[in-house]
Amino acid sequence: MTFVKRYLIPRLIQYFLVIFLGITAVFFIPRLTPSDPVSRTIAQLTAMGSFLDPASMDAFIEDLTEMYGLGGSMFQQYGAFWLRLFRGDFGVSFFQFPTPVSKLIGTALPWTASLLLVTTFLSWTIGNIVGGLAGYFSRRHWSRVLDTVAMIIRPLPYYIFAFALLVLLAYVIRWFPVSGGTDIGRKVAFNWPFIKDVLRHSFLPALSLVVLGAAVNFQTMKLIVQNVNAENFVQYAKLGGVKEERIVSRYVIRNALLPQVTGLALSFGQIFSGALITEIVFSYPGLGTLLYNAIITGDYNLIMGITLLSIVAITTAILIIDLLYPLVDPRVRYI
Amino acid sequence: MRKSILFSVSLLVVVSLIITACGATPTPQVVEKQVPVEVTKVVVETQVVQGAPVEVTRVVKEEVTKEIVVTATPVPVVKEKAPDVLGLPRNEMVIAGILTGRVGAPSNFNEWVGWKWRDRGMQNLANEPLWSVDFATGKIVNGLADGDPKYNADFTEMAIPLRKGVAWDDGTPFTSADVVFTVEELIKFEGLNAHNFMADNVASVSAPDDYTVKFVLKQANSRFHTTFLDRWGCTWIMPKHIFEKVEDPVTFEFNPFVGTGPYKLHSFDPNGYWTIWEKRADWDKSPTGILYGEPKPKYIVLQAFANEGAKILAQLTHQLDAVDLSAEGLKAALAQGKTNRGYQPGYPWVVNNDPALTGLTFNTFRAPYDNPDVRWALLLAIDIVEYEGQAVDGAGTLSPVHIPSLGSYPKDYIEPMQQWLSDFTLDLGNGETFKPYDKEAPQRLVQYVKDRGYSVSDDPAVVAQTFGLGWYKYAPDVAEKLLLKNGFSKDKDGKWLLPDGKFWKIEVITRSDMSHLEFKNGAAAVQQWKKFGIDAVQVPSDEISALTQTGDYDVSGAWPAQEPWGAGPDLYRSLDFYNSAYVEPIGTITKGHTSRWSSPEMDDVIKRLRETDPANTDQVIAIGIEGLKLAVEAMPGIPTFGYVGFVSWDQYYWTSWPGSENPYNEPYTHWGPFKYMTPFLEPTGN
Repeated sequence: MTFVKRYLIPRLIQYFLVIFLGITAVFFIPRLTPSDPVSRTIAQLTAMGSFLDPASMDAFIEDLTEMYGLGGSMFQQYGAFWLRLFRGDFGVSFFQFPTPVSKLIGTALPWTASLLLVTTFLSWTIGNIVGGLAGYFSRRHWSRVLDTVAMIIRPLPYYIFAFALLVLLAYVIRWFPVSGGTDIGRKVAFNWPFIKDVLRHSFLPALSLVVLGAAVNFQTMKLIVQNVNAENFVQYAKLGGVKEERIVSRYVIRNALLPQVTGLALSFGQIFSGALITEIVFSYPGLGTLLYNAIITGDYNLIMGITLLSIVAITTAILIIDLLYPLVDPRVRYI
Repeated sequence: MRKSILFSVSLLVVVSLIITACGATPTPQVVEKQVPVEVTKVVVETQVVQGAPVEVTRVVKEEVTKEIVVTATPVPVVKEKAPDVLGLPRNEMVIAGILTGRVGAPSNFNEWVGWKWRDRGMQNLANEPLWSVDFATGKIVNGLADGDPKYNADFTEMAIPLRKGVAWDDGTPFTSADVVFTVEELIKFEGLNAHNFMADNVASVSAPDDYTVKFVLKQANSRFHTTFLDRWGCTWIMPKHIFEKVEDPVTFEFNPFVGTGPYKLHSFDPNGYWTIWEKRADWDKSPTGILYGEPKPKYIVLQAFANEGAKILAQLTHQLDAVDLSAEGLKAALAQGKTNRGYQPGYPWVVNNDPALTGLTFNTFRAPYDNPDVRWALLLAIDIVEYEGQAVDGAGTLSPVHIPSLGSYPKDYIEPMQQWLSDFTLDLGNGETFKPYDKEAPQRLVQYVKDRGYSVSDDPAVVAQTFGLGWYKYAPDVAEKLLLKNGFSKDKDGKWLLPDGKFWKIEVITRSDMSHLEFKNGAAAVQQWKKFGIDAVQVPSDEISALTQTGDYDVSGAWPAQEPWGAGPDLYRSLDFYNSAYVEPIGTITKGHTSRWSSPEMDDVIKRLRETDPANTDQVIAIGIEGLKLAVEAMPGIPTFGYVGFVSWDQYYWTSWPGSENPYNEPYTHWGPFKYMTPFLEPTGN
């Protein structure tokens, strides 16, 4: 009961407050930029060859303002937004009018979620296991080789690294496709040919993310393990004749994992922001380009829809980690 | 430790060598020689069909001997295999890029509402307009219309004859009822793009018979029909039999798309990367089929790529037949691709007859750019050879006036204006004058290009066509006099100060895409003005449209004038954007040109042009020249060179693309007349 009163309830209030403030900020910030969806729509139409008769432009601007729900003051729009949100309605995309935001997110989300969930988990697991071992056995030859490889890979700009993979494996060796989430003409279906096709197209984007992500996790974990390894309690265990496997798994890795677990939770939360550069390099579908285009076109509703997901995901991930931390770290107690 | 470093370095070197070795291809060679060339020509003949004279277009092939430049991109000899698509042989299919990128609303084909990525195949394959502009031939192509519009004497009524024998791709005949329905629907529903234009202009629309449409206009408008003229978009005709069953055409997705073009929708990617179009079994019931015969490709795929590198890799692996690239991308594709070619077989390789004019635009509502002397001074501070060399490596066609130097425009306008341009004089103050025009500017550009090692013809006609008829002198001394005349001064470091003594800083706003010509013009201008002693900076921004429309800028890399039609001599489309009625104060979206420049004299030109029958060529040209002179005098934006298109064609599967040696059609796959190109493409047999 003390836990609920003294920790859980205040923490939940904080959780909802952060979400509320985050959404409020995302509502107002795009509206304070010079990007106005009506002028962007007009600019897009005229830039793309549509001739909008200047004499009829005022009426067209009025029509668009009304259709986009941008009439009234900013606070009236804010009130209407919350009413809509409570009904589960994100509204329609301005730039892809009249497609509902939920439909656009629904199409892109599975691609982003499946790619980033897998790659985040793999890069975290591989990086931490190998990094942990390399940290503990840091004087071994293989550990130094791995460290050097990670040192070379990690500073590489992601765009360059990903594009080099594309050139090597899609053009030079031609094992993988140059672009896209599926082959041209492939219809979405839950069958083996479709899944195989998706896996084939996802391999290079995933590889690029896993290799760089694992290198980051490797270096961080290696450093933490080296520090933990030098702690008195580890030295004491060694002197006390505790088996090395036990020291590695129970004494060193478990302690070193604590900050890494927090990092993993945050990484999962950030999945909903998409992987913009990955999507651009591999022409891969997902939320990253959807959000980027929404920002540059002033598509308020779409920005709101995606960032709302992201805010909720990150704050929820942090909340869950906070609540579960005592299970991972016995030193933490909410009493 | 040393061993591991050595191992890692060796690994890196080996990988780099593999990449380099595999990517290496022969250096492109440029050779001029006499070779026989088979040329496909389009011949228009009049034949009698069902007792009525019909204009029929026929294709003939001739072998002519002409001088061409051979690059290292000959017709393919190496057999390679690209992946089949849809389980069908790749060689029955053309794959082309979507210029406007990944489709944001893939399941929505309703192009009457908002922006719908029309170049994914709607405008260029599956739909036919009443008329199309083909800038390569300079002609208006009759699509669904069977001839020119017929106006009454005071331009308050207009009739359109429609083509017989056309059917929608679901088999329903196309008739005047479709056109009448479209216009009435546009008037009725506010969310449709053309609603306000139609509501403002059309009093009534009727169909006297199945193949004639008659409009009664609310006020005289001699250019009303141009709303149906496809120049990268127009008012399209709705299939009545589909839309009449729809309650709300604004939210209707129009999926599957039904059109009158030679291709119909096959399938599309829910993520917007590709759309597949299939040749209609009844292709002969499309205007394309009636005019030019059977399209050759069975399928056409329009595909988007999120980055240029992927486009180039796709072309090099024969997975992309036609695509627009950047200047650097085209060079890479031509250098690496064994079967690639540009629009021109030799230097400058690019499409240089696109009807758009690039340059710089001044915000004439913001000091000191509200002063024509300042605008002229900034022009004279530009060395156009250096400028164009930096921007496009000398590949653009110069234009001294506010229309591009291409098609019939040089003959109709720029040549007749040569004397006036030569006589045009600037007042420098203190009784001093200066004639800024320079007929030799193209020759200076030729010399630059030769110095760069490119091979160019010395034929004056070729030079004029490729590099233009003239531009302005590089005269920084004169620019200085103009500025001093207007109270500007220099500080001890030679930096320019405004008349109020403050430091002069010019912000040149451009798009952020470095390959875009707006960016390249802005970057070149900044270099020139810095050299002149002004603190100029480039401000790349994705908000350029909003900022220029609301007047929040000094100078922009945006087009200095509205693009003309690209066919016929009528400049109403360009000049009307300088109409004072469209100018809005700073902070409000302007309806005309973003320079916000206008003048009573230009208003008078626009009014007279509006009252002139566009078919009255002599009168249209005479008034147009008056308008161009006013624009040169005021210089609200600096015209530099015509739009340069970097088209790359892979000829591994398909050939007979409309290159510069045989420009039977406009060359882009994203423009409407791409469909008219399809009957002339030839499979290579690969």
